Amino acid sequence: MKRRAFAVALGLSLATVAVTACSSSGSSAGGGSNTIHVLVYGDASNKVEKQIVETFNKTSKVKVVLDTIPGADYQSKLNTIINTPQAPDIFFNWGGGSIQPYVKADLLLPLDDMIAADPGLKSNFLSSVFNTAVIDGKSYGIPMRGTQPVLLFNNKKVLADAGLSVPKTWDELLNAVTVLKGKGITPFALGGGDQWPTLMWYEYVFDRVAGPELFQKALSGDKTAWESPESKKALGMLKQLVDAGAFGSNFDSVKFTDGGSPALLAKGKAAFELMGSWAYATQQDASPDFAKNDLGYSNFPSVPGGKGDPADLVGNTNNFYSVLKKTKHPKEAAEFLKLMYSDEFVKAQLGIGNLPTTTNTEQFLDTSASPEYSKYQYNLVKAAPSFQLSWDQAYPPAAATPIHTAVQQFFSGKLDVDGFIKAMQALPAS
Amino acid sequence: MSTSSLGSGPGRRARAGRRAGVGVTRPGLVWAVPATVFFLLFAILPLVLVAVLSFTSWDGVGAPTFNGLDNWTKLLHDPVMTQSIWLTLVLTVAGVVVQTPVSILLGVWAAGHQRNRAVLSAIFFIPLLLSATAISVVWRAILDPNFGVPSQMEWLFGDGNLMGSQSGAIAVLTFVGMWQWTPMHALLYQGGARAIPQVLYQAAAIDGAGKVRQFLHITLPQLRNTMITSVILMLVGGLTTFDTVLILTQGGPGTDTTNSAFYMYQQAFKSFDFGSGSAIALVLVVVATLISLAVVRLSGYDKMRGTTEGL
Repeated sequence: MKRRAFAVALGLSLATVAVTACSSSGSSAGGGSNTIHVLVYGDASNKVEKQIVETFNKTSKVKVVLDTIPGADYQSKLNTIINTPQAPDIFFNWGGGSIQPYVKADLLLPLDDMIAADPGLKSNFLSSVFNTAVIDGKSYGIPMRGTQPVLLFNNKKVLADAGLSVPKTWDELLNAVTVLKGKGITPFALGGGDQWPTLMWYEYVFDRVAGPELFQKALSGDKTAWESPESKKALGMLKQLVDAGAFGSNFDSVKFTDGGSPALLAKGKAAFELMGSWAYATQQDASPDFAKNDLGYSNFPSVPGGKGDPADLVGNTNNFYSVLKKTKHPKEAAEFLKLMYSDEFVKAQLGIGNLPTTTNTEQFLDTSASPEYSKYQYNLVKAAPSFQLSWDQAYPPAAATPIHTAVQQFFSGKLDVDGFIKAMQALPAS
Repeated sequence: MSTSSLGSGPGRRARAGRRAGVGVTRPGLVWAVPATVFFLLFAILPLVLVAVLSFTSWDGVGAPTFNGLDNWTKLLHDPVMTQSIWLTLVLTVAGVVVQTPVSILLGVWAAGHQRNRAVLSAIFFIPLLLSATAISVVWRAILDPNFGVPSQMEWLFGDGNLMGSQSGAIAVLTFVGMWQWTPMHALLYQGGARAIPQVLYQAAAIDGAGKVRQFLHITLPQLRNTMITSVILMLVGGLTTFDTVLILTQGGPGTDTTNSAFYMYQQAFKSFDFGSGSAIALVLVVVATLISLAVVRLSGYDKMRGTTEGL
């Protein structure tokens, strides 16, 4: 039994090693002489990816093989194989920090030569989105799914009953908090248990107060950005909101991912929810009647005197395909990437509810599953001077957990302004 | 890993082993080879590799580079690490303290011959059949502050912000752990209680001892060995609690329920800092081993005596 107890304790450490050992289990990508392996995040969108691959393979001698990895495991699996012979030629990612370690390790192929040969690989995409995968002035990714800006969703019925309209300025937002609190309604549903929904509030308030430059400065390594007056002002506004009870008191026990916060909005227990554009599909799924009749949406309000343009957006700009340096078929890879702005691609993505970010998307918006919503989003993204990638994805993966912890602790009062600034300054340098 | 249970295998070799050495009827060293090789390959080797990794900086891309004691000095000054060890111990002790009495009572009751006992026992044992993930998901839904039980029982739960405070989150983890593990330990105690010779109770009854006295003076002392087994299982399980933390609290609020096992996972598989993750794993191995050794020594588990001497 002594040994048994010891063995169980040791078993723990096994997990750590397992990941180094399992790298050989992948399909033998990259090695084949006449194939291009494309690795994507496994979910419902794979339908379109398969279709595009089939289209490509019809005319190409070099065939594309699509490998999917179920969503939750994607990032760790990719990280495990990317520097091995099993690495794919082309892979799905989120741009920004998600590929930065690979750029640093010199694994990725800058796409600038491809773009020089076919300028359409850049000019056919909305620039605010395309820029997410530009690192140190070089392009590393081609947008390949739909954009997901963060919007302020609302329950139209609750707003009408309270005599409120959608807030366009910070003052109107504060006024809405007071009115709704008076009626016993939680102003903003917040899935604090997931932590990343809380982060969305920081992303918008920082943008509106200080403009996108502050975060860009911090991201590029200038830690003084976090202690600037604008940063402190933004934190003060967030604190004011929390203290006013804008999110109720039990938001840390609520999650978006298990349906908790969407239900608050749908059932009229809360009036707003700040959430990625996918919340529309979530509501259609969970509360179809509400989504049809009472689900409203708007951009984040402006802050008077703030430096940020009220048209700025934050969220997931898009997903990207990046190419590995070691690929044997860069020419064919470029041909494959060109399909990402084809009419067929755009129509297929719209058909499954994704909103592509190509310039030709506009003419097909009427074919989308919810044309009005698609048009609204598309115009927002097109008009946005800046589209900031979520902080936890703009930084390299090592920073995600510390960011989530800090935003949660500042909301719960465990960290004060200085504590939060210190936590952000301690983030692993990019 | 018992080597004596191999039974009637190649008898010739056993005899040969006996001839060569000790005169007792015990299997030779050869019998231990399969278990030993397995143990070396899947326990010792990974442990050595993890120990090596803990002195490197490795993000999973490229080759690990040695960085000396960096991970260890960082860990030493990391308040989250110190806290995670405390949390691990708190969760473990809370688990033992809460689960043991419930399991004993339930197990002893289930060992009896009352009417409906079999049916009720079967119902009590259902949690044993569910996966930890399913259990955690279900309890999250039940404890949802706006739509779950807390919203209907404000006098008890207040605003229902159970996962919003450290004490609340620990209480939830302990409670769900109890719900999940009590059936298994009750099963152990049921077996233990069934094995207690009836003559003891008959003698006590003749001497005028009531139910309570019989329980305190016969059942409990007779269950001593079962208790040690059960507590050791709880300790080992408690030290490695991970799945419930991952789904119920994600180590939150903040880092308030980030126990060592979860912290290891976060560092290695979320932040891709395999060096720090390995260092945490080693700390956990050392702590777990020390605790196991201490319990085995203190409880006399290594020389467990029978409880039926003199019968």
